[in-house]
Parts: sequence; C-alpha cells; structure tokens
Amino acid sequence: MACQGLEQGETVATLKKETEALKTKLETERAKLQDVELNTLAEKIEPVGQLNIKTRRILKGHGNKVLCVDWCTDKRRMVSSSQDGKVIVWDAYTTNKEHAVTMPCTWVMACAYAPSGCAIAAGGLDNKLSVYPLSLDKNENLASKRKPVAMHTNYVSHCTFTLSDMQVLTSSGDGTCALWDVESAQLLQSFHSHTADVLSLDMGPAETSNTFVSGGCDMKAKLWDMRSGQNVQSFETHQSDVNCVKFYPSGDAFATGSDDATCRFYDLRADREVAVFSKDSVIFGANSVDFSQSGRLLFAGYNDYTVNVWDVLKGTRLNILYGHENRISSLRMAPDGTSFCTASWDNTLRVWA
Amino acid sequence: MDELDVPLMQMHVAGLKQQIDTPREKLSVTLPELIKWIEETMPKDPFLNDDLLRNNPWVETSKCVLL
Repeated sequence: MACQGLEQGETVATLKKETEALKTKLETERAKLQDVELNTLAEKIEPVGQLNIKTRRILKGHGNKVLCVDWCTDKRRMVSSSQDGKVIVWDAYTTNKEHAVTMPCTWVMACAYAPSGCAIAAGGLDNKLSVYPLSLDKNENLASKRKPVAMHTNYVSHCTFTLSDMQVLTSSGDGTCALWDVESAQLLQSFHSHTADVLSLDMGPAETSNTFVSGGCDMKAKLWDMRSGQNVQSFETHQSDVNCVKFYPSGDAFATGSDDATCRFYDLRADREVAVFSKDSVIFGANSVDFSQSGRLLFAGYNDYTVNVWDVLKGTRLNILYGHENRISSLRMAPDGTSFCTASWDNTLRVWA
Repeated sequence: MDELDVPLMQMHVAGLKQQIDTPREKLSVTLPELIKWIEETMPKDPFLNDDLLRNNPWVETSKCVLL
C-alpha cells in the first residue's frame, strides 16, 4: 500500500513538471508569432468621433438585484432575472412587462431568450436550467409550464440557446459546461477542463457556430469544440476571476472582463492576447462586456456602477457612462446594434443609445 | 485541486500537447485582417454614425421625454 502511494506521488510530481514544461513551450510557440502590436497598426486609423450615448429607457419592476439580461431576436423584447427569483419578459420600447414568472430558487444568475422568441430559459442556485414556453396569452400561468432541462452539481452561472430552440449550453459553479437537448433534457456533451467555477460562456457567431468560449474563477478563458468536447485553446493572462467572455462579431477573436479590473482582447487565429483595456483609475472588476456591431467599440460594465466604452483598436477609453446606482451585473448589445442594455444591482435595467 | 486528481492532470497534459501542435498564424497576418473587417463594418455601426441616429428607434424625435 505504501509503495502504491509513492507511485501515485511520483506520477503527480512528474505530471506537474510536465505541465509546467509544456506551458512554457506553449508560450514560446505563441511568442514566435508576435511580430506586430495592435495599437501600432491602429495608429494610422481615424480616431472615433464624439459619442453621445444616453439612457433612453429605464425598466423598473424588479424588487431586487437584476443579475442577467438577454435580448430577443425581434430587437425590442428582453428577458431579465433577479436575486429574488423573478424572471420578467419586457417590451423595452414601451417598458411594459409582458410576462413574469417566479422561479423556485433565488439568485437566478442565468437567463436567455430562445432564437424563435417563443421560449425563455432561466437557472441559478437551484443547480438547474428550466425552459418556459411563451405564448401570446398574458394571463397564462408560466410557472406551471416549467420544463427542467439541465442539471448540474452546483449553481448555473450562464446559459445560452445554440442556433435553435432545441439545444442549450450552460456553464456552472461545478467547473463544467454542458450542452443539453431541450426536448428530452438529455446531456449531449460535457466540457471539462476548468479547475474552478465557470462564470460565463459565449457561443461563436454563425460562421464559427460549433465553438464557444468560457471564462472562470481559475483565471482562464478557454475555447471549446462543441462536437468533440475538447478544450481547443486556453488563455491564462488574467490575474483574477474571468467574469465575462464575449466573441468578437467576426468570430476570430474574443474579449474578457475580469475582477482584476482589466478587459482583455484575444486573437484566436494567432492564439494570443493582443490588447489589455485598463487604466490606473479603473480599479473595480468588470462584470460584463459586449462589442458594438462593427467591433470597434467595447462596452464594459463595472462594479463601480459605470460603463466604460473602449476603442478596441487603439486601446483607449472613449467614454464613461453614469446612471446606475449599484454595480452592473450584465451588459448586452441589441441584435441590430442600435442600443445596448445594462442590468444592475440597483434593481433596474437601462437601455442606452 | 490538481495535486490530488491524476486523471485530470493527465487530461491537462494531453490538452497542452495538442495546443502546442495547433496551427497558428502570425499577428502580422491576422491583425490587419481584423482591422480590415472592422473598417468594412464601421459604416453600418449605429454607434459610430451620427446620421444613422435619425433612424434609431430608441432616440426620441421630440424634445420632451417622460421617463
């Protein structure tokens, strides 16, 4: 028994050494390709003109911290979820609430609108993701139509429908991501590699729709192949939890927001970090990021209640948007790029344009 | 966590080996293409073009707003 333990110990030590050696080799390989810097190339580009972004709508109705928001593909509806378990579907143009359902748990950290606009998904501390079909009947009892789809062993931190209403991707505090079939509630694929809670995920745009990127408390951002379940690329440059990951509109890059107060931009084809969006005066963690339609602007919501607008190419901060009275938990660009919505711990949502 | 889980560490080692072998392109190739992509889509970006603001459904056309 004792010599078996020694064998185990040797294996662990050798594996650790091998891991460190491989990581160094990976960095050397990546460094070979760094022949230019993004901001040097961007020097000849015209700077962005004056941005006049204001709050255009304030959605009030949640009784507690709003944790997540997602737009419908019709560009006017959105679903939001909050700490007290309520999930509300809004018509953001009129600020009317169209549907409301109370989940059987608190801290509903994840919510998503189905691409067809006919269903929503929500999950959180109950370790499950439930799908609710929506109908035109405003008096329906949504709670009775609840369909549990995903089951994790820890909280559900983020979710998204894939290209159709039939599959959902979830990320969880149990360190894994998973792909589920909505109809049968079967686990189709499971993604293991993170060594701590996974806080966020984002699916690639249509061209790269069989990949997704995830970020977690192990400070890593990882790119996955949905069909094989393999972790294809891994990035470890952040110095604290990666709160949010977002694909670039072209699908060749992605951005992250982290508790280390920086947002970073990674090029997937070159397999490295190409920009860091930070300032000495920005000391609070970034909770959520999203790109403008062209990808020139990066909007990031922080724990200091503000939204910072960054020029992706030049790496400079263009604007600070004030308005929320507590930390911003979620930020999402509308599908047509005309506005973006922020969800905050001050119980409101704001639409900016 | 790593210290105790040998299968997970073996998976990490295999994954790292695969990542080292992944084909990657030089930044001097990928970045100019990224910049070109942005420049092509910038004219249609509602946040970057003031003239598109007139058609923006969120912007009020009248002077007074009731919030």
